Amino acid sequence: MTRMMHILALTLFSLFLLYALIRGANPAPPLVRDYLIENGYEETDAENMVTAIYLGYRAFDTLGETIVLIASVSGVVYLMGKKQ
Amino acid sequence: MRKTDILDVISRKLSPFILLFGFYLVTYGHLSPGGGFQGGVALASGIILLLLCQGPSIMGKYFPLKKINYAEALGYLGFIMIGIAGLLAGKGFLSNFIPVRGTGDTPGAGLILFLNIIISLKVGAGITLICFYLFKEGDEND
Repeated sequence: MTRMMHILALTLFSLFLLYALIRGANPAPPLVRDYLIENGYEETDAENMVTAIYLGYRAFDTLGETIVLIASVSGVVYLMGKKQ
Repeated sequence: MRKTDILDVISRKLSPFILLFGFYLVTYGHLSPGGGFQGGVALASGIILLLLCQGPSIMGKYFPLKKINYAEALGYLGFIMIGIAGLLAGKGFLSNFIPVRGTGDTPGAGLILFLNIIISLKVGAGITLICFYLFKEGDEND
């Protein structure tokens, strides 16, 4: 039973990778990229474009990343703090 | 780890400069390559250099473990508080509501600077905690 689940999971994942490969070879028209490059400096006052994107336009994803960090730190502290 | 003279002198003379460089990376995050995450890891590496070369007793003297725990929680809560303050100012969650302008030629990005500092607190404290617990585990096995 678990062997079937493993085979199913691997098949699904490889199908997803194949889809990503094919999709990556034919990209969508670059509307968002041109808009971000043009108006990145005027709307957020940051010369560094990476900072302007991950703290100005998409700051919610940065919040999710801090959640991931807290989860990983608490996992390590829990595993390492146990007395044997 | 056995304490030798070379490790002692080099760690004590070098780690303030590493911490200073970490602060530079954090506060100039919107002008040159850097930012909250990179500066936080640089700050953590300065603290970890002291921890590795002086032993875990330094953590009680200069960087107490309780304060580092509080710093991490404070960083996370501060992020959420700034987002809610953006909501209260009437514009939207995590929006730029501080009209801070730079002086002269350098642009001053209002909210981005605060967010960088808070993120660096959180990331630096988190990485320091991970390395401290891994070091303690390895030390007990000796």
